[in-house]
Formats: sequence, structure tokens, C-alpha cells
Amino acid sequence: MNNSYITAYYYDEEELLEGIRQIKEKGVEILDVMTPFPVHGLDKAIGLRRSRLTRVAFWGGTIGALIGFLFQAWVFTQAYVINFGGKPFFAVPSFMPVTFEMAVLFSAFSMVLAFLIYFKLGPGAKPIIYDERSTDDRFLLIVKAGDADETKNIEKALSQAGAEGIKHKA
Amino acid sequence: MFKLTKKLQTIGFAMVAIGLLALAYGFIAGLGGDRIIANLHLNGFYFMSLGLIGMFFVAVHAIAESGWQVSMQRVGEAMSYFIPVGGIIMLLVFLFGGMHHLFEWTDEAHLDRILLGKVAYLNQPFFYIRFAVFFAGWILLAWMIRKTSRELDINGDKKYFNKLRKYSAFYVVFLAITSVISSWDWLMSIDAHWFSTLYGWYVFSSMLVTGFSVIVIFTFVLKKMGYMQHVNDEHIHDMAKYMFGLSIFWAYLWFSQYMLIWYANIPEETIYFYERLKYFDTIFYMNLIVNFAIPFLLLMTRNSKRVFWVVVPVAVIIFIGHWIDLYQLIMPGAVGHEAAGIGFLEIGLTIGFIGLFMLVTFYGLSKAPLVPKNHPFYEESLHYHTNY
Amino acid sequence: MYVSPIREPLIRGEKNYSQVTKDILAPMAGKPSKYWYMGMTLSSAALVFGAWATFMTIYYGIGTWGLNKTVGWGWGITNFVWWVGIGHAGTFISAILLLFRQKWRTSINRSAEAMTLIAIACAGFFPLIHMGRLLLGFFIFPYPNTRELWVNFNSPLLWDVFAISTYFLVSLIFWYVGLIPDLGTVRDKAKTKIRKAIYGFLSFGWTGSVKQWSRHETVSLILAGLAAPLVLSVHTIVSFDFATSVIPGWHTTIFPPYFVSGAVFSGFAMVLTLLIVARKALNLEEYITVNHIESMNKVIILTGSIVGIAYITEFFMAWYSGVEYEQYAFLNRAFGPYAWAYWIMMTCNVVTPQLFWFKKIRTSLVATFIISIFVNIGMWFERFVIVVTSLHRDYLPSSWVMYSPSLVEVGLYVGTLGLFFTLFLLFIRVFPVIAIAEVKSVLKSSGDHKKTAHHE
Repeated sequence: MNNSYITAYYYDEEELLEGIRQIKEKGVEILDVMTPFPVHGLDKAIGLRRSRLTRVAFWGGTIGALIGFLFQAWVFTQAYVINFGGKPFFAVPSFMPVTFEMAVLFSAFSMVLAFLIYFKLGPGAKPIIYDERSTDDRFLLIVKAGDADETKNIEKALSQAGAEGIKHKA
Repeated sequence: MFKLTKKLQTIGFAMVAIGLLALAYGFIAGLGGDRIIANLHLNGFYFMSLGLIGMFFVAVHAIAESGWQVSMQRVGEAMSYFIPVGGIIMLLVFLFGGMHHLFEWTDEAHLDRILLGKVAYLNQPFFYIRFAVFFAGWILLAWMIRKTSRELDINGDKKYFNKLRKYSAFYVVFLAITSVISSWDWLMSIDAHWFSTLYGWYVFSSMLVTGFSVIVIFTFVLKKMGYMQHVNDEHIHDMAKYMFGLSIFWAYLWFSQYMLIWYANIPEETIYFYERLKYFDTIFYMNLIVNFAIPFLLLMTRNSKRVFWVVVPVAVIIFIGHWIDLYQLIMPGAVGHEAAGIGFLEIGLTIGFIGLFMLVTFYGLSKAPLVPKNHPFYEESLHYHTNY
Repeated sequence: MYVSPIREPLIRGEKNYSQVTKDILAPMAGKPSKYWYMGMTLSSAALVFGAWATFMTIYYGIGTWGLNKTVGWGWGITNFVWWVGIGHAGTFISAILLLFRQKWRTSINRSAEAMTLIAIACAGFFPLIHMGRLLLGFFIFPYPNTRELWVNFNSPLLWDVFAISTYFLVSLIFWYVGLIPDLGTVRDKAKTKIRKAIYGFLSFGWTGSVKQWSRHETVSLILAGLAAPLVLSVHTIVSFDFATSVIPGWHTTIFPPYFVSGAVFSGFAMVLTLLIVARKALNLEEYITVNHIESMNKVIILTGSIVGIAYITEFFMAWYSGVEYEQYAFLNRAFGPYAWAYWIMMTCNVVTPQLFWFKKIRTSLVATFIISIFVNIGMWFERFVIVVTSLHRDYLPSSWVMYSPSLVEVGLYVGTLGLFFTLFLLFIRVFPVIAIAEVKSVLKSSGDHKKTAHHE
């Protein structure tokens, strides 16, 4: 957020969605929206595409499963070949539980780590808080401002769309 | 309102005719009484169970107070019309030679020590009494649910909704207990020397996922005929979630039963799998691939669950796959590896049963409006978004 | 999305968003009530008893326990399975109810998940403490070593290591990822600098931007999709500890799903025990309504009935199999020296949950509280009966013996109860017990001020 921007807020998510629809028609560029909870339809309204985190989870799980299975197979057929209760060395049914757990572990952790890293979330992260009530009951819009005239028009569009607390930050 | 057109009837009867032809072929080609009876038994049980699950779909969602499925639940109600039909076929099979061909414990003159120990349960009079109790309960409860569902249609009075929930609760509990016991009677006792406490739930899970898949297939067919236009990709998404999740659940039960018996390696238990792995290995592994690997891989992504052209073929694959599952449950013990096989008898007879099941279900669909407009959750079902 | 008007509201009191924030953050502010201090005193006392028992076990050895050659597993493993089972409710509520889109989970999932984490910690204590040479505990993990040994991947006890570790870690990140946005709320509402700094640290820099929320939802959904089979697998693998053996009463194929149902059964009972008290003490009755309690009771009927059907199946199959050892195992359970434990188990597990078929009992807080305690007692006895009666009299009558716990074993169990309640009491002071953001997201569709049902 190095350029100037305008913030405004709503107290209701349906009004937020309607307001976004109106100002988008007027060509206003939305930089971000802060909400206290995920609003359904908002990501579509903003134009977000589908998350790639699901792919991270899938590949994480596949890698975990392969590591788990192949490691067990190596241990039992090469490294530490012992006859346990007459079971075959390549004991596929026995390998299943650990393989499954490894898949879940790797899948969950790779996805969550990817999520945290992508958004730079972590212990000690310093976020920019535009409005402290955006985690309480305010739905905050952050739109791009322009020169003095454009800013005026944008502010007018916002107030027509029902937003409150319109503030310009240069 | 659904119309059972002449064209549909013709198709259905043609399929039934193929089935009768296959049966005749079985006799003429001398495939053996064991094999013919086993196939009649397999299909009778399979399609009868699908009828049970059709009603289970309605009942379990009623007691969960779920709303999204209301637009599709008449399909489940219609499938339940097959329960008495399947029952009659199974009874005829038992009465006309089935008992001796299927169950070695009916050979009262030659019972070994193990079978003698089970005589208090595995005897024909008690067997038939249980048979009667199962079907009386299933038919009666299914009929009451259908009746109440229609009363709810006529006036959306809340008291009918509560009645629906009450009968649904009875049905679910009754089915839970009787499906387990009936699978012991009709399937597990084919290998009467063997036993497994998980068996009943394993068979139930197999029928469950297939029944839900068949509901999807019927819904698709109805949509293609121009009905059920309100059923959209949101509803199919949820049905596909069931198909995905229940296939994994079935595989989990399969693995539990198999691994525990493999691990402990007790001969009186392992003989069951030894026979299947030695003589029916292709079928045995196909069972796993078709019923687990394919639904797991093909229905994993969100998008795949929302398109009919993925979900319906997978539903058909699941239907075939669990037929194969029943095959490896029944044939090794009832027929044996020398006489068993998959040929015109098996395929033709199954086609015949599909035709019969289709006719009965379509008949059931024509008996009530396709959409229960006065159901308190009907509106929810129409304006439905899964959100995820 | 349309919500039928006949559905009961999930949030009462005609709340708006800022009221929701205030109500849920209230228990974390100010000084704790005298009941909180009383609770802490009791649980801390239990913890001290446990600390003594732990010292005795480590310093003097497993000889301080009541185990013997025949009964090699007693209270230790009973408690392990009991705690793991209890933990399952949290994941069930968070993951499986999410996948089934049950909105009523939103006001109970946070505390249920916290309960899961604490229960897993209590459970994990037992395998650790029963090792004898605890300092060599790391042997259970596969790592290259100078002994040229690897762990036995054939052993269900090793599968447990992977299962419980994975379960704890994945539940932890699932709980914490869900908590991050709420911690952001606590941070922004914090009045003092220290509080702001602490919760700022804990909230990982959360802002609530639309992209963060969108990806957060994806992550939560995938975690739910992973946690659901995980929770099934964990208690399944625990059941494998018994079912892979050849012991009568242990080796039976129904154990995996039967254990899982039993776990959800006891877990929900513990959630009810905790929340019936917490909702009153923390003034959250408008969020954890009687409707929520009723829904949880329905899960109890379902899982309790499944357990009941499993019992019937086991008896029948013991007779049907013709295996005399299996038949004896069940006769011994019902009529042998531990019959008292068996009948407590049957009464508590089979009879009491069936009472919830009656709406009056289902919606009565007192009845629910009492029944929830009985269910947990019953499920403890179930594990005790399975473990001890099968071990104390199996194939060889000359090895038949009795088992009773020593004071040290009792102390360890009481200690984990102390740990559980201590940590839970701390949890309600430090973290918001209800998922603030999730409740807000269903407020419009399921709160009680919906005049028309149409939204979006």
C-alpha cells in the first residue's frame, strides 16, 4: 500500500457485497477487503481465482505416502530383514497404517506451511491494521485513490453505495 | 408427475427377456444348478438391497433433519418398491433348490462337528422365520414412510413431518440390526465354517455406496427425460461426496477385515481368503481397484464431483464393482472355482434384473409426484448452494 | 442460502456481530470467578497425586504397578484408550460435522478441539510412562543408529506411534489455524499493551483480508477432509493393538469401526460434561443452546447404538464360531470374577444412551449431564473389560490370575484427570472458547432474528 488509498466500511456483509457491485460498475479499483469472517461470494466479487493450496496438499500427501511406503519396504527387505511371526518381508498390509499416517501428516503440514509462508503469517509478523474493528463487526473496503478529482469521484461513489467512514489516506 | 411410457416398458421387458434367455442358456449349456442358483441369489439379494438403501437414503436424512436431498428423495422411495419383488425372487430361489445348492448346512445328514455346533441357528425353519421377520419389517416400514411422505405432500402439516421422522427412526434402527443378521444368513453362511464379526457392516457399506450411486443414475436418467430440472450440480456434488467418502469407508472395512485375518494367520479364518486369492485372484483384486482406486482417484477434486459426465460413469462403475464384490462373497463357497465363471449367464441375468429393477422403480416413481412440494425443507432443497 | 423457518435458531438473544465478540471474549477478561479457583484447586490436587505416582513409577519401576505375567496390560492401557477415545469427539465435531455442513458445530468446535488436544496429551502419557526405561523412549522412532536396528513396522504398537503423533500434530495445526483469526480479534480488542503484544504474537499477523479468509477456508476444508479419515484411522490403529492378536475377546474383525464409534460416543459425552457446566459458568447459553445439546445427544444415541449392535454381534459370533475359547471369554466376562465390571459397562453403555430417544430427556440439561458421566464411566469399563478379562483367563488355565491396580496406577489415572481439567480451565481463560468468526458467519442465516429466511 504505498500509493494513496481510501478506506470505508459497512456493518453488514450483504450491503458490502451490494456496495462492491455498485462501485465496480463505476470502475473503482478495489485493493483489499477486511472482514471479521469469510463472506460468501466476496472472493468471486473481487475476482479471486481458485486456491492452489489444494494442489500442495495433494502432492504433499502423495510424497508422504511414497516416503512412508518405500521406507518401510526398504527397511524390511534390505536393511533389517527379520522374520516377524512368519510374515513376508514385503508385508504390504502391515505397511498400510504408517503409509496412511505419513500421507496425512505431510499433506496437512505442507499445505499449512505454504499458507503461512504465502501470507507471511507467523510468530512476530507485523500486520498493517487499517481499522481495529475489521476483526469485530466492520467490513472494511480499501480502494485505490487517484489524483484529487478521481478521489472525489470515488468518495462520492462510495457514499452512494452506502459505505460509511470514508477516509482518504495519501 | 412421472409417466411410465410404453417405450420404457418395452425396454424394461426386453431386458427381462434377455435375463430369462440367459437363465435358459444356463440350463441348456449345463452350467450346473450351483452356478445358476448362485447367480439368481446374487442378483436377488443385490437389487433387493438397493431397494432397502433407497429407503434408507430417505430415512437417514429425515432423522438428520437434512434439507438438500428432498428434491431427490422420491427416487429413493421408488426404489423401495423392489423390496418385496426381490424378496419373492429370493424366496422362490430358496424354496426351489436354492437351500441345498447354496448352503452346505442344509445337508442335515452329513453335518460335521463344526456345523453341528451351529444347528440351533443354521436350520431351515429358523432361517425362514427370520426371513419372514426381515421382510415383514422392511416392507411395512417402507410402506409407512412412503405413505407418510405422500400425506405430507397433500398438506404440509408438521405432524406428518414428525411422523415421517418417527418411522424413519424405526426403519434405520430395524435395518441396522436386520441387515447385519440377514447378511449372516444369506451370505456368510454360504461359507458356514467361517465367521467374521465385521461381515455384516462390510456388506452393508457395500450396498450403501451402491444404493446412493444408483440414486444418482436414476436422477440422471430422469433429467435426461426432462424431469427433475431443479436438480443441479449442487445436489450432484453432495451425492458425489457420498460416493467418494463411502467408497473410502468400504475400502477401510475391507482392509480391516482382510488385514486382521492375514495378521493373526489362524487357519480356520485364513482359508476364506486363501481360496479367493488362489482361485479367484483376478476378481479379488479387481474388487479393490474398481471399488476403491477408481472412485478415490476420479472423484477427488471438487470439480469432478459437480459434473454429471464424471459422476454418472463412476456411479455405474461402482454398481458393477459391488456386483463383483458380491460375486467374490458368494461364488467361491456356493459354486467353487471349477464351475464358477463370468459368461452369458452372469451378464445376461444381471441385465434381466436391471430391467426388472428399472421397471419396478419407474412404476414407483409414477405413483407419487416427483417433487414433494409441501415438505418443510423443499424450499431449502431448491435454493441450494453447497458453498464448499 | 435459504434456511427453512422450522429450524431452531442456533444463536439466541438477537445478537449482532459486536455483541458476539463481546460475549465470547468476556470470560477471558477480568479476574476468574471463585468457581474457577475451586476447580483449579481440585484439579491441581489431582495433578500432585499424579506427580507422586509418576515419581514412584520412574524411580522404583513398573513393579510399583499391579501388573503380572498374565495380565501385562491393565489400567495403563485402559486409560490410554479411554483418553484417545475422548479426544475423537473434538475432531469429529470440527472435521466430520464440517464436511456434513452442520452449522451447529460452530459454537462447540473450538472447545471440543482444545479438549481433543488435552485428551491426546493425557493419552500419550501412558505409553510413555509404561516404558520402564523412559529415557530410552526415543527408541520407538525410526532413525539410523549404531545398533543397526530399525523399528518393527509389523507391530501395531509402532503404528500407534505414527498414528498418535500424527493425530496430535494435525489436530494441533487444525485447532490453531482455526484460532488465528479469533486471536486477531482478541489482539484488536486488547486494552493493555502486554495483552496486545501477546495476542499479536499469537495471531501471527492476521488481518482478515479477503484473500487470507478465502485461503483460510480452503485450508480449513482440506484439513477437515484429512482429519476425518485420520480420526477414523487413529482409533482403528489403537484397536489393532488388540485385534491383531490371537487372544479370545481381542481378535475379532469388528474392532476397528466398533472402537471408532465407541470413541466418538465417549468423546461426545465428555464434551457434554464440559460444556453443560461451561455454558452456564461463562454465560454462553445463548450460543450453546439446548438445541446444540440435543444434537449432541442424537450423536450419542447413534454411536451408542452402534456399540450396542457390536456387542450383540460379538456374542453371537462367539457362539456361532464354535471356538470354545471365544465362547468362554464371553461367559467369563458376564459371569466370572469381573462380572461386576461387565454389568456396569453394559448398563452404562447400552441402556443409558437409549434414554435419549425420549425428547424430554434429550432436552434436559440435568439428565444429559448425568447420562454423560455414566457414558464415560461405561466406556472406561468397556476398555477395562476388554483388556483385563481377556488377558486374565485365556488359553492356559494354569496361567489364570487376578489383577487389581496399585495405588500408583490409580494415582497416574487421577493425575491425568487433573491434567485434563487444569489445562481446560487454563484454556478458557487464555483463548476464546467459541469460534468467534465461525459463529458470526452463521449468525444471519441461523440466528433468531431472521424475519424472512432469504439471504444472499
